[in-house]
Amino acid sequence: MVSQATTESQTPQEYAAPSTIEEALRSIADGDATILAGGTDLMLQTKPGGRLPYRRKLVNIRRIAGLRGVGEKDGRISIGALVTITDIANNELLKTAAPVLPQTADCFASGQIRNMGTVGGNICNASPAGDMIVPLLVLDAEVELSAWAKGAVATRLVPLSKFFTGPGRTVKQPNELLTRIVFARPDKKYSVGYIKSGPRPALEISTVSAALSAIRDNDKLSSVRIALGAVGPTVLRAVKAEAYLEGKTVNAQVVAETARLAAEDASPIDDVRATAWYRRHLIQVYVKRLLENDSQG
Amino acid sequence: MEPIAKKSLIGQRVPKPDAPDKATGRTTYINDMVLPKMLYGKILHAGRPHALIKNIDVSAAKALPGVYAVLTAADVPEMFFGVGRDNRPLKGGKVRCVRDEVAAVAAESEELCDEALRLIKVDYEDLPAVFDPAEGAKEGAPLIHDNKPGNRSLAYQFKHGDVAAAEASSDVVIDSVFNVHYVTHCCMGTSCVIADFDCDGKLTIYSQTQYPYNFKMDLAPALGIHPGDIRVIQPPVGGAFGSKLDVYPFEPVCALLAQAARRPVKLTFSREEEFINAPTRQPVRIHMRTGAKKDGTLTFRKVDCLLNNGAYTSWGPTVPFVMMRTFSSHFRVPNVDIDCRAIYTNNPYAGSFRGYGNVQATYATSIHADMMAEKLGMELLTFSLKNAQKSGEVTPQGARLNECVFAECLQKAADVTDFTAKHARYAAERNKPGRIKRGIGMASSIHNAGGAKIHKSDGCGTMIKLDDYARATVITGASEIGQGIDAVICQVVAEELGIPMSDITIVNNDSAIAPWDVGVHASRTTFIAGNAAQRAARKAREQMLNAASKRANMPADALDLREGWVVHDSDGTPVLKIDKLLREMHFSREPELVMVSEYYEPPSEPENKEHVGDMSAAYSHAVHVAEVEVDTETGEIRIVKFTSVQDVGRVINEMGLEAQLEGGIVMGIGYALSEELKIVNGQVRNPSFRDYKVLTAPEVPPMELHFIESHSSTGPMGAKGIAELPTIVPAPAIANAVYNAIGIRFFDPPMTPEKVARAIWERDSKLAAAE
Repeated sequence: MVSQATTESQTPQEYAAPSTIEEALRSIADGDATILAGGTDLMLQTKPGGRLPYRRKLVNIRRIAGLRGVGEKDGRISIGALVTITDIANNELLKTAAPVLPQTADCFASGQIRNMGTVGGNICNASPAGDMIVPLLVLDAEVELSAWAKGAVATRLVPLSKFFTGPGRTVKQPNELLTRIVFARPDKKYSVGYIKSGPRPALEISTVSAALSAIRDNDKLSSVRIALGAVGPTVLRAVKAEAYLEGKTVNAQVVAETARLAAEDASPIDDVRATAWYRRHLIQVYVKRLLENDSQG
Repeated sequence: MEPIAKKSLIGQRVPKPDAPDKATGRTTYINDMVLPKMLYGKILHAGRPHALIKNIDVSAAKALPGVYAVLTAADVPEMFFGVGRDNRPLKGGKVRCVRDEVAAVAAESEELCDEALRLIKVDYEDLPAVFDPAEGAKEGAPLIHDNKPGNRSLAYQFKHGDVAAAEASSDVVIDSVFNVHYVTHCCMGTSCVIADFDCDGKLTIYSQTQYPYNFKMDLAPALGIHPGDIRVIQPPVGGAFGSKLDVYPFEPVCALLAQAARRPVKLTFSREEEFINAPTRQPVRIHMRTGAKKDGTLTFRKVDCLLNNGAYTSWGPTVPFVMMRTFSSHFRVPNVDIDCRAIYTNNPYAGSFRGYGNVQATYATSIHADMMAEKLGMELLTFSLKNAQKSGEVTPQGARLNECVFAECLQKAADVTDFTAKHARYAAERNKPGRIKRGIGMASSIHNAGGAKIHKSDGCGTMIKLDDYARATVITGASEIGQGIDAVICQVVAEELGIPMSDITIVNNDSAIAPWDVGVHASRTTFIAGNAAQRAARKAREQMLNAASKRANMPADALDLREGWVVHDSDGTPVLKIDKLLREMHFSREPELVMVSEYYEPPSEPENKEHVGDMSAAYSHAVHVAEVEVDTETGEIRIVKFTSVQDVGRVINEMGLEAQLEGGIVMGIGYALSEELKIVNGQVRNPSFRDYKVLTAPEVPPMELHFIESHSSTGPMGAKGIAELPTIVPAPAIANAVYNAIGIRFFDPPMTPEKVARAIWERDSKLAAAE
């Protein structure tokens, strides 16, 4: 366990720009570092008056080639933490293996933000509205966390569904770096859909987003996973709705009940962007549309 | 030499002269400017709606190295300024809204300013606050200004005819309450000013103002200096839209800092500060009652308006001046009774904003027209045509509608959109199954299009000089704030002088050089400054033709100026190059330079105390048609097609006209669908573009623009002012289209997805419960 004593201030006292994962992990080993990837969230949060102070050291991981790239090995797809949202939108492997990810990338912020923002950053920012998290949850992705321990690189895999503990909070320790995201290549029978609300999905901070994946066999569903964004303290899995839907055949009554249960699984709040009522209403509309295979939302 | 045929620039597509520099990033906006030895200024805002200031301790801020001035109300004379003379640059005693300026610092950098502001300790004692004007008007409500009993701010009344008798004789009466909301201008350039005093105490202020001459008059009382000792320089600005039509506290505060620090000081708002501290559009509660006869003839309008004044009085609470014009003249309304009151609250306050009250008023009048037509069982077009005025009619407030083509605009809009057939078909399909519903809606309005005589003068001064190379300089009072007046003036002057537009330089950014103009507002600049430029150019033309006449031995009226040449007017035969003519005039035994001036005052009159007067030299109409799709589950509204038909008098610069209309319509759609400054308990809850939603490019619908040319007898080349109607008419056109699609009226814009979804859900729940 590392020391929890951290230094918080308006400006970092030290700066490091490592070029390898090992260097980076040594650099953050004392846990008193703020990590810079794309910077699209960090820059706003750390500006004067922002909600996030800097720790003692600012560690820029952008020069680490080992954190880039998308690959496949033994049926598992791996996405480097520094892969940008634009990279995801354009990646040929993902377009075939997990098209929901490029589809989500296409609803993600503006072109400028997509060019800078990284998938690792989007996950570590742990926003309840984090766009990439929603489809990754239904792909049952895991994140690889790495740390420098006892003179060597130690890694552990954490299921994304266990990664978040609250808004802006995760199980990642201060001395750990999220190095990549991995998930099993979905079966061919798998169908995955994603919907994000808003008259302009791309520039909207999600009022609600939803993703659903399942193996469809003549309308009978198995391995059902439903993820919902911006309707709770973290992006969440709609567990009651998933359990109900498992093994069912889709018909109007099943659709209605799944939608109702999904709205129950969520704990949305009233805020300046939407009321809890509207968020629950949209969950039901979207779950219904995802089940009816209609993602024209 | 070949003959030179007569060609006209009027009605052509002309790029704005400032466009290449702006598009390539070369323009130095005021926000980019740095002066030698310049300091930066920042303001400490109250952040609370109503509180006594018990103590302010600035000692730590003053001790910070690099800080040159720290000011509070105690350091400056107690000067009042603003439309209601109720505002002070820095507040002492108490604060009345979140944006209130309690202290200010000048330092070597913005970061140092922020640090100094954090070191200022203010002790407040919160007071009971009031945010709703209806509450504010009640007896016992917290008093916001000691000298404003009942929190009463401005009030306006207009009565004409006998509304009670008209109501008694009406076959149908409808009654609705509209609540139109807070929006803000969202200029790309945030508020910014640079102030610099010389050793004699004269102030040079680099400002975004859109009314440089009266700006001096309004700024002086906040500083206690003579207006004549203020020089206003206007660098390029990133938008204004009415937000720069008044003096706001940051401007005198910056000047006071410069005075105290004895250095130039620049003060710029961050985007968050801009959302909280820049003016808004005036929100209004409009209670409107409208009557009509069975045959569709409008009989009366009775209107009661309650305005949330906010804590201080800028132009916002004066918008009834324009609203009343719409209530009494949008369609022929024989009897009207209008009562408007503004009540102080602890909210931020509104300023002027493109459309100036007419955006709010037209939302009510155009929705009521649609409701009335439906209630009468008439087609909206028939009802509208029945009540549309004709040329020569005079409205109850004395507006003489010359060259009025309202009926033509209505007919054209209906024809090009197949309005009547679609309107009936979508209404019939409303209750059929399907989650996407289509609708089509029409709205219209009237606006002043030849200036507005709300000041003692509505004029514009212009000077023109030509040099020995036939290059012209036009020195005009008309400010260029992005709207495109430079292109229009170049066209008008080039047309008269027969020289290329590229040989014309416009100077209009220095109050010490250019002659007076009332400012960029009221859709007036093309009309007023265009007339002034044309008249000045005609003087120069006459002088040149007279000189040419002597040299060519031909009467002046047989000559013309074309493409750099003096030519025979009849067949275009070239006689003499214009630059040669000018040199000959200059270097002759009786030397003369071409340098002329003109002051144009439009033939309009101010309103009298009863609000009657022909206050504009021209009026114009626009009709908009929106075709929409409503997703009845999510409540999302998509505009499929937007059509505008507008009386523009005459097209001068077609490209500029299109840009003004498209930009205005986008602003109007934002007002209808997505934009809202959410102010809760006096606090601005969404001070960022993330949560304040202006339209972005993908949401801009396909647009079809039709220009009707009514040829104003008073406008330059027949043109009328055009800039506000595009923002005024979209919202009710969209609201009427949404009604056509789903059968629900929205009296409280914006029609956000949530609001629409909720309304549909509530209606369907009620229907289900009733079954």
